[in-house]
Amino acid sequence: MQAPRPYNLVAELTYRCPLRCAYCSNPLGYREVPEALDASAWCRTFQQAAALGALHVGLTGGEPTVRADLDEIVGGAAGAGLYTHLVTAGTTLEAGALAALRDAGLRSVQLSIQDSRAAESDAMAGVQAFERKLAFAEEVRALELPLTLNFVLHRHNLERVSEIIDLARRLDADRLELANAQYYGWALPNRAQLLPTRTQLEAAARAVSRARREHERPEILFVLPDYFADRPKPCMGGWGRRTIVVAPDGRVLPCHAAAQIPGLEFWSVAERTLAECWADAPGLNAFRGSGWMREPCRSCPERDRDFGGCRCQAFLLTGDAASTDPACQLAPRHDVVREARAAAERSEPTPRLVYRGETLQG
Amino acid sequence: MSGDEAARAWSPAEFEKRLRRIGEERYHHRHPFNLRMHAGDLGRDEIRTWVCNRYYYQTRIPIKDSLILAKARDPGFRREWVQRLHDHDGASASEGGLELWLALAEAVGLERAAVESLEHVLPGVREACDDYVRFVESHDLLESVAASLTELFAGDIMVERIAAFEKHYAWVDSAGLRYFRKRTQQAPRDATWGLDFVLREARARQDQELCTAALQGKCEILWRLLDAVEAAQRRPLLARSAQLRIDPVGDQTLVVLPERAVKLNESGREILALCDGERTAATIALELRRRHPEVEQLESDVHEFLTQMRRLGVLASPT
Repeated sequence: MQAPRPYNLVAELTYRCPLRCAYCSNPLGYREVPEALDASAWCRTFQQAAALGALHVGLTGGEPTVRADLDEIVGGAAGAGLYTHLVTAGTTLEAGALAALRDAGLRSVQLSIQDSRAAESDAMAGVQAFERKLAFAEEVRALELPLTLNFVLHRHNLERVSEIIDLARRLDADRLELANAQYYGWALPNRAQLLPTRTQLEAAARAVSRARREHERPEILFVLPDYFADRPKPCMGGWGRRTIVVAPDGRVLPCHAAAQIPGLEFWSVAERTLAECWADAPGLNAFRGSGWMREPCRSCPERDRDFGGCRCQAFLLTGDAASTDPACQLAPRHDVVREARAAAERSEPTPRLVYRGETLQG
Repeated sequence: MSGDEAARAWSPAEFEKRLRRIGEERYHHRHPFNLRMHAGDLGRDEIRTWVCNRYYYQTRIPIKDSLILAKARDPGFRREWVQRLHDHDGASASEGGLELWLALAEAVGLERAAVESLEHVLPGVREACDDYVRFVESHDLLESVAASLTELFAGDIMVERIAAFEKHYAWVDSAGLRYFRKRTQQAPRDATWGLDFVLREARARQDQELCTAALQGKCEILWRLLDAVEAAQRRPLLARSAQLRIDPVGDQTLVVLPERAVKLNESGREILALCDGERTAATIALELRRRHPEVEQLESDVHEFLTQMRRLGVLASPT
C-alpha cells in the first residue's frame, strides 16, 4: 500500500516521569519498555521523517527533559528542518537548560499543569510541582518561546475551567489545551473517578465560549469528549495517516496506545528505516483506509471524516479492535459508553484513584 | 433535555430572566472594543472608524422597523411602532436619530458627506447589519420584535458612554453627544413596550425559545459589528511562533506553527508580506486595492483573510 504523507512525528523519548498522574496515557506496562534509541538514532529518525514530509516533531514521553542528551536531540530535530516542540511537565530542567534548548533550535513549549490550584494540582501529579510549573511558564515567556498550556479535564477540576483560563491568561499563554481525559493507559482503570457529568461539561463549554468571545488570547482548544458526543472522534486524523508515533523502544506506531492491541506487528527504527516501518509494518496497515471496516462503519457517510473512530478504544471496551468505536451512537456496543455515562450521573462512591506506577487491583 | 421539559412554557418572570441574562452575557457592552472605548483607550482614528461604520447600522434601523410595521395586523401595534421611524428619521430632515448621528460624525472630525455616502463602511459591518435586516425580512413579527430587545440594555450603555466621552474624549464637542442623550430615554421606553409584547405573545415554550434565539442572534450581530471595526484598526504582524517555509513536498508556501501548518496561496503571501506591525488592516486593504483596482470584493477578502489568520495564530494582533 502507498503510505500517506505524515505531517507530524511524536517522539516519545522516554517513559520515565517524576509525576504520577492518574490519567497518564503511557501504557500500564511502561516500565518494561526499554529506551532503545540514543541521540544519534533519534537524529537519524528526524532526518527520515522530514524526508517523508513531516513538518513537526513533538518531543514527549514520559518526561522528555529527564534525558541527559536532550540538547543533542533538539539540535538534530531542528537541523532536520522540523518545527521542534517540547512537551513537558516543567519540573525537571535545571536553570539555564531551557535557554540552551532554545539555542539548539527549540521552537515552542507545551507545559502540562494539573489544576488551577496548587493543592489540587499537586494531588493529581502525586508530587509538589505547581509552583515550579508556574516558574517554568515564566521562564518560557522570558525566553520569548511560544507557550501552550495543557490541562487534562475530569470531574474533579471541570468546575474550575474559568479559573484555569484566568491562570493561562496570567501566564500569558498563546494556546490553552483543555483536554478532556481520554480513557486509555492509566485513565481507563480510573474512569469511574474521572468521568464527568454532562452538566459539568456543558457549564465548562459555556465558560470556554464566553472566554473566546471576550479575549483574543489565549487560543482555547476544547472539544466535547467522545463519550458525550454522538459520533466518535477522528482519532489521530486516521490510523497511520498523518502522525507517526515512535515509542522509546523505537517501535513505529500510529498512536500512543496502539502497542497494547494484541496481534499487531509494529517495526522499530532501531532495525529498519522509518519509511519502511511507516509504509510496510503489518500493524500500520491493519487499519489504514476503510477496507477493514465492518457495518455500520462500512456504509456510513461519515467514515471518511471520523475514520471509524479509535481502534484502541474499540479494543479496550469490546475486546475487538476492528469493531465500531463504542463512542459512536450507532455502534453495536454503544451501551458500554452509555452505561459509563449513566454511572457518572449517579455519582456513586468510587474507589480511590490509582496513580501511575501503582499496582492495579484485580 | 427531556421531552417533558421542552413542552413546558416558562413563566413570564422566568422568560424575562432568560432574556435579560442573554443581554448580561452577550450584549456588546462586554465587547473588548466597547470596554476600551469606555476606558478611554481608543485613539481618534478608532473613534472615527467606529462612528463612520456604526452609521451604517443606524441607516438599517428604520428599514428594519418598516419591515416590522408591514408585518403587524394590529393598528395599536403600528401606532406604537411607527414612533420609532419618527425617532430615527425625524419629522423633518434636520432632526431625528440619523441626523444626530451625523452631528456626532462631524463632532469627531468626519465629513458628513463621506459618512452619508456609506463608501467607507467595512465589509464585515455591512454583512452584520444586512444580516439583521434579512433576519427581520424572513422571520415573523414576534421574533423580529424579540430581536429588537437589545434596546433593553441600550439605556445603561448610553449613560456609560456619555460619561466616558465627557471624561476621556474631551476633543469631541459635547453637542455631538445628543444622540446618546436622546437614546437614554427612547431605548428603555421602546424596550419596555417591546418586552411586554414578547412576554404576552410568546406563551408556548417553542415560541419563547425562538424569541431567546432571536435576541441572542441580534446580540451576535452587534458583536460582529464591533469585531469588524476593531479588526480594521489592528496592526497585524507575523506571530513569533510562526515560521514561513516552502513545503519540501510540493513547494507551496507554508506557515508552520505549534501543532499546525497553514498553506498560503499567492494572494495570501502578498497580504502577509504587508503585515509589518505598522500598517492597519484597513491600510493593507487600501494598499492592495491600489495594486489590484480590478479585483472584486477585494476589501472583504483581505479582512476575511486577516481574521482567519489571526484565528489560526499566524498573526499576532496588537491593537
